[in-house]
Amino acid sequence: MNPATAPESSKLTAATSGFALAAAIAALFNTALAWARDAYAPLNGIMKSLAGNSWTAHCLADLVLFAGLGFLFTKTRAAEKMDPNRLTGALIGAVAIAALGLALWFAFV
Amino acid sequence: MNVSTSDAILLAHAGFGVTGCLAALWVFLEALNAQPGNAARARAAALVTAVSMAAAWICGGYWYVHFYPAEKALILTGPWPFAHNLVMETKEHLFLITGMLAFLLPVVTREKLYSNSAARKLVLSVAALIVITGLAVEGAGAVIEHGAKVALLRGGARGDRQ
Repeated sequence: MNPATAPESSKLTAATSGFALAAAIAALFNTALAWARDAYAPLNGIMKSLAGNSWTAHCLADLVLFAGLGFLFTKTRAAEKMDPNRLTGALIGAVAIAALGLALWFAFV
Repeated sequence: MNVSTSDAILLAHAGFGVTGCLAALWVFLEALNAQPGNAARARAAALVTAVSMAAAWICGGYWYVHFYPAEKALILTGPWPFAHNLVMETKEHLFLITGMLAFLLPVVTREKLYSNSAARKLVLSVAALIVITGLAVEGAGAVIEHGAKVALLRGGARGDRQ
């Protein structure tokens, strides 16, 4: 079959949907952790003791969550059941909320 | 010419970040015109995006941990303390989202974009988010450096009078 004339599909693979959902969750977690570190100073000390620097620990937490959830959702095919357009919308929404949440927090809190 | 290690790392951080943004824009354009013939190019561009953003992350992280504390103290004594309190605080966390999106891009470009409308939309969205957040982070870097510059200029002017 000619790939150029292949019928359109609208399904995502388990890896694509799994890592996309993991990115949306990790983006929101990133902002929540930034708020928590800013609001509760002792948390910075705990994170610093884990990785030498609290921001480095924050990076590692984000990456471990993103990769861990990505592999978990891929293996369990959990995100594959989601409608792909809703998944894309959820990712865009999560990034927008996370970005605005950071800017507004550091501007006003 | 006297380029210190700190200068080189900071410029590499910004340079890799811009390269990552341009590569993500390249993926966006390939996905707009998705065909079997450009699938490999889209995947290559996605890989360039991820590698560039990883390099920007490592350079920026090293500079932030080892060299930024002195600049932060300078900014906070100057006329633009918001360059740290608002702009750097937002940038140092927003960039982590850009980085994770850049790592997501090579995964989503493995789909057959030319015959999968949902995958195309997802790739277009991820690439656009990388460009938008990446450019915001680049602009934030300029504001932070200006915060340090005005602190030095005003501080220098005060020093002249004393």
